[in-house]
Amino acid sequence: MRRRRTTSLPWAMAIILLAAAALGLAFNLVMPQGIGWLPPWLSAPRWQPVSLQQAADMHQKGVLFVDARDPGDYKSARVRGAVSLYPAELKLLYPLLKKTLAAAPAVVVYGTYTSRFPAAEVGQFLKDQGLGKVYVLGEPFMAWRAASLPVKAPRRRAKP
Amino acid sequence: MSALGQLISLACRLFLAGLFLWAAHDKVWLPAEFARAMAAYDILPVWAINPASVIMAWLELIIALLLLVGVWTRAAATWAALLLALFTGLMLWAGFTGAGFDCGCFPGQETHAAGFEAALRDFLMLLPALWLMWLPGRLLSLKPERKPDPDRLYF
Repeated sequence: MRRRRTTSLPWAMAIILLAAAALGLAFNLVMPQGIGWLPPWLSAPRWQPVSLQQAADMHQKGVLFVDARDPGDYKSARVRGAVSLYPAELKLLYPLLKKTLAAAPAVVVYGTYTSRFPAAEVGQFLKDQGLGKVYVLGEPFMAWRAASLPVKAPRRRAKP
Repeated sequence: MSALGQLISLACRLFLAGLFLWAAHDKVWLPAEFARAMAAYDILPVWAINPASVIMAWLELIIALLLLVGVWTRAAATWAALLLALFTGLMLWAGFTGAGFDCGCFPGQETHAAGFEAALRDFLMLLPALWLMWLPGRLLSLKPERKPDPDRLYF
């Protein structure tokens, strides 16, 4: 009797996963709307990275800091003197800050999460707009705060 | 399997196929949008977002097509169940943390907030996938499944 070939469940699931990876890779390589392994602001950055110490030195020299985090995080606490410019509203907010950014000797953008690096995205955008010295801090804001560097946080009002 | 059981399996297969096809087509065609939606959960590292979103989108599409034609139904249903269990967990987490952002379930279409309602929806959609894992059925299937062997999982 002819024996029917069977495929085990784990093998079938593995083949399905490999097919998804292969087709996804092919599509993203060929199609214009395809995405790379990393977003362009990380795969081909035009900004310069800075360390926490370098950023702290720049802050003392009066360099403008840009907070790229979500607005709620900016309101809860931020680097002293920082302005808010986040990826979701870049095109709306940039015209309002254009003069301030252009007048600054340099700009340091900060803001990073586990899955997102909004500082890199904003830094890339600012470079595309023609700003000269744009630096991006790779450390999260909590590292700045933990190092006891200048922070502005709203004071909590005592409950009556 | 009884005729009723076959019909239920067929209904589950076609329902899940339609659901995953509807969810997958925008994820496949607009990968950047889906990657942004996935990044909002803030779970995976930055370098894993794009690859994971691309693989997940195409996985959903392949699951839909396999369920539609009735090939490797049990494997497709198992993947569907795993994805829906993952989505349910993510929605519950979003609900507890009060995230409120778009769940990314159907990018390019109307937004669905991540939260308890989405968790319930995903859990209910998990049930037909679980049914198919046990009883994949043979109706309108290009490659009907064999009866399950308790000692070994095969097709």
